[in-house]
Amino acid sequence: QSLEDCPLDEDEDAFQALGEEDEDIDQFNDDTFGAGAVDDDWQEAHERLAELEDKPVASREQDGPGGEEADLLGESEDTLAERLTRLVIDSELEDPAIMQAVQTRVPAQQPGGLNSSIWDSSAVLRRIRGPLLTQEMPSVSVLDYALPQRPPQAREEERDPSERALPRRSSSPVIGSPPVRAVPIGTPPKQAAVPNFNQQILCPKPVHIRATMQQRYPAPYGERMSPNQLCNVPNSSLLGHPFPHSVSPVLTHLQRAQLLGGAQVKPSLAGRMSPSQFARVSGLVGSPLPSVNPKLLQGRVGQMMSPASGFRAFFGAPPAPPPSQPQHPPGPGSHLQSLRPQPQMFRPDTTHLHPQHRRLLHQRQQQNRNQHRSLNGSVGDRGGHRSSHQEQIRKDPYANLMLQREKDWVSKIQMMQLQSTDPYLDDYYYQNYFQKLEKLSAAEEVQGDGPKKERTKLITPQVAKLEHTYKPVQFEGSLGKLTVSSVNNPRKMIDAVVTSRSEDDETKEKQVRDKRRQTLVTIEKTYSLLLDVEDYERRYLLSLEGERPALMDERKQKICDMYDNLRGKAPGQERPSDDHFMQIMCIRKGKRLVARILPFLSPEQAADVLMATARNLPFLIKKDAQDEVLPCLLRPFSHVLYHLPLGTVTSLVQQLTNLPQSATAPAPTNLHLTAVLQNKFGLSLLYLVLSRGEELQSSDANTELMQDNQW
Amino acid sequence: MNYMPGTASLIQDIDKKHLVLLRDGRTLIGYLRSIDQFANLVLHQTVERIHVGKKYGDIPRGIFVVRGENVVLLGEIDLEKESDTPLQQVSIEEILEEQRLEQQAKQESEKLKVQALKERGLSVPRADTLDEY
Repeated sequence: QSLEDCPLDEDEDAFQALGEEDEDIDQFNDDTFGAGAVDDDWQEAHERLAELEDKPVASREQDGPGGEEADLLGESEDTLAERLTRLVIDSELEDPAIMQAVQTRVPAQQPGGLNSSIWDSSAVLRRIRGPLLTQEMPSVSVLDYALPQRPPQAREEERDPSERALPRRSSSPVIGSPPVRAVPIGTPPKQAAVPNFNQQILCPKPVHIRATMQQRYPAPYGERMSPNQLCNVPNSSLLGHPFPHSVSPVLTHLQRAQLLGGAQVKPSLAGRMSPSQFARVSGLVGSPLPSVNPKLLQGRVGQMMSPASGFRAFFGAPPAPPPSQPQHPPGPGSHLQSLRPQPQMFRPDTTHLHPQHRRLLHQRQQQNRNQHRSLNGSVGDRGGHRSSHQEQIRKDPYANLMLQREKDWVSKIQMMQLQSTDPYLDDYYYQNYFQKLEKLSAAEEVQGDGPKKERTKLITPQVAKLEHTYKPVQFEGSLGKLTVSSVNNPRKMIDAVVTSRSEDDETKEKQVRDKRRQTLVTIEKTYSLLLDVEDYERRYLLSLEGERPALMDERKQKICDMYDNLRGKAPGQERPSDDHFMQIMCIRKGKRLVARILPFLSPEQAADVLMATARNLPFLIKKDAQDEVLPCLLRPFSHVLYHLPLGTVTSLVQQLTNLPQSATAPAPTNLHLTAVLQNKFGLSLLYLVLSRGEELQSSDANTELMQDNQW
Repeated sequence: MNYMPGTASLIQDIDKKHLVLLRDGRTLIGYLRSIDQFANLVLHQTVERIHVGKKYGDIPRGIFVVRGENVVLLGEIDLEKESDTPLQQVSIEEILEEQRLEQQAKQESEKLKVQALKERGLSVPRADTLDEY
């Protein structure tokens, strides 16, 4: 009805209001930054206030919604009504539209009697008035009412940053519902009570504001709007509409921020929550104006970075943002006076100040105060270490900008990223590295008798392995299943068919290439087997007794497979060619593979390998020219040699040197031997074999003559 | 409190003076005030240091918020050893001039190189999208 008329009325009010604001700003500046800023003990002030409120509120404590309320409310209603009438009369900033709107709406929805409706409307008014009447706040009443909220809420928020979102959201704000006071306003915060308290106090606020907004703006609040949409809608309408102008321009920004925050609700990861965001946002509770928006944000599952940062950015900008109004002294009571500095002293309350200023203030506070403030966690921590920090602070006034809580939060995220169900699988190298280190230090300990060196080890959170069977998304009532492909449920996109080529078509090069490829595949397969085998030891230790034989068997089997792979599946008993083995040995990885496998093979098998290597050594040497990986085989070879009987050794030597069995023909140019001798690996191998042979020969007295001769 | 021993975590580095090298080649020196899980940094009293040859110049920049992905490396500055440098500090104007000259020389040599390659029929891919460092 009068909605459309309002704009005209408000214009004058708006300009007046703006003018008055400017005067106030200087005052506020002085109060916050200059001489007016007073250190005071907010605790006492708070207690005083609490007592004050306790009396009228205590009676309300027991009330439930309904009839009783009316009686109880009647008592306090008088004082409030007084204040409010004062408010109404005094202030010129009122937006008749809002008040009317609220009044019309509120009583309409309120089933209670007259008393309660007045209560509601007054409460509502008060709520709205709070935010609207920014610098305009002449009356004490609202402040009186609003201020006590600050300490309890602030403290609660400090304590409970991560759980904040849910309480806000879960209460469905009902337009016109009376704020049920389960907990009196002035009581010190209790863990459980306060969230309720907050949600009751604050949720109505946003609702009421919204109610008015809804009437103006086409888009329903609850709907998700695209940020663009939202930017356009409120901005244009807000700016175009005098309503915001009647309020301080500050509110416009805040409203925009709030709407933006509301629009950008997304289910975001917990990790994206910022504790600092909550601190800042919640800290704004103290003052009526900003308190609207932070609570709104929180109500919107405030897990958005952007609104908060927009907030902070915003609050960085204006020099003396609204909630300095506590200092605005239109005949305040003594308790209010003492409350005045309160927002500055208590950290969360100071978020309305310029962040830098707030920090400086806080640092100064810490320095000035001599007693421990037994506050909750983070602040208490800082206080506790003040003596050591004071030095720091004196030298670096900007220290500890990042709160302990925030550090913990980042650290928590980083630890979460390290969570793993199977660290040996996920983080093999790290685990092995630290195991080695520990072994080293343990060994050192045993040798030297020094003090145990505490090497702080990062204890990563161990998460139990959960088998998640992924069920693709299904919708009720739809025919069949959705074919949605995702990471967990990949869908076949291409039909790739492997066509085996016929032999005729291939050229020589292709054949060679294919053969090489096959060798590579064999190597890879063998490597997997090898890794498994190497892992068995660890599994053995971890597994139960009953399982162990099975594990052993598995292991043996795998070893056999490996060997088969190496030598090529022998069709017959005789291993006619070393070809397969040679192919593997030609590839660098193959050589390393052999080196790693050798320890696992049985002596015969190992000897076999050795023989094959020796037999073809020149060839291998030639191939190895570029890779130079042969020496890696030396160590395992020497191990193998150690266990070989003499006979094998001799034959080995023969192989190596390629001496003809029958020493009939004089070896012409013994290329084999020369090649062997020229290569470092060949030389060392030969040396090893010979020395081993020598040992055996000299040590074992029972060597057969023939063997001896051969040697 | 020992945060995450054995890892590279920036939490222990907070409130200390750091040198940060960015992907675009800038060198920032400032007090590390805040971090987050992406290694976004908040640097305080930041100074951009330009090095040309043996000279360097500092441009005071105030507060920097650096997106984590743009950091190449960063390291703590030992305040005692900070002044212990063979480099010579010069004024901002001078260092900017020097930088300009250096850039010019670089561009010219680059041009020559490209020319030479072109003559030989080769081409170097445009380095627009590549990082400076």
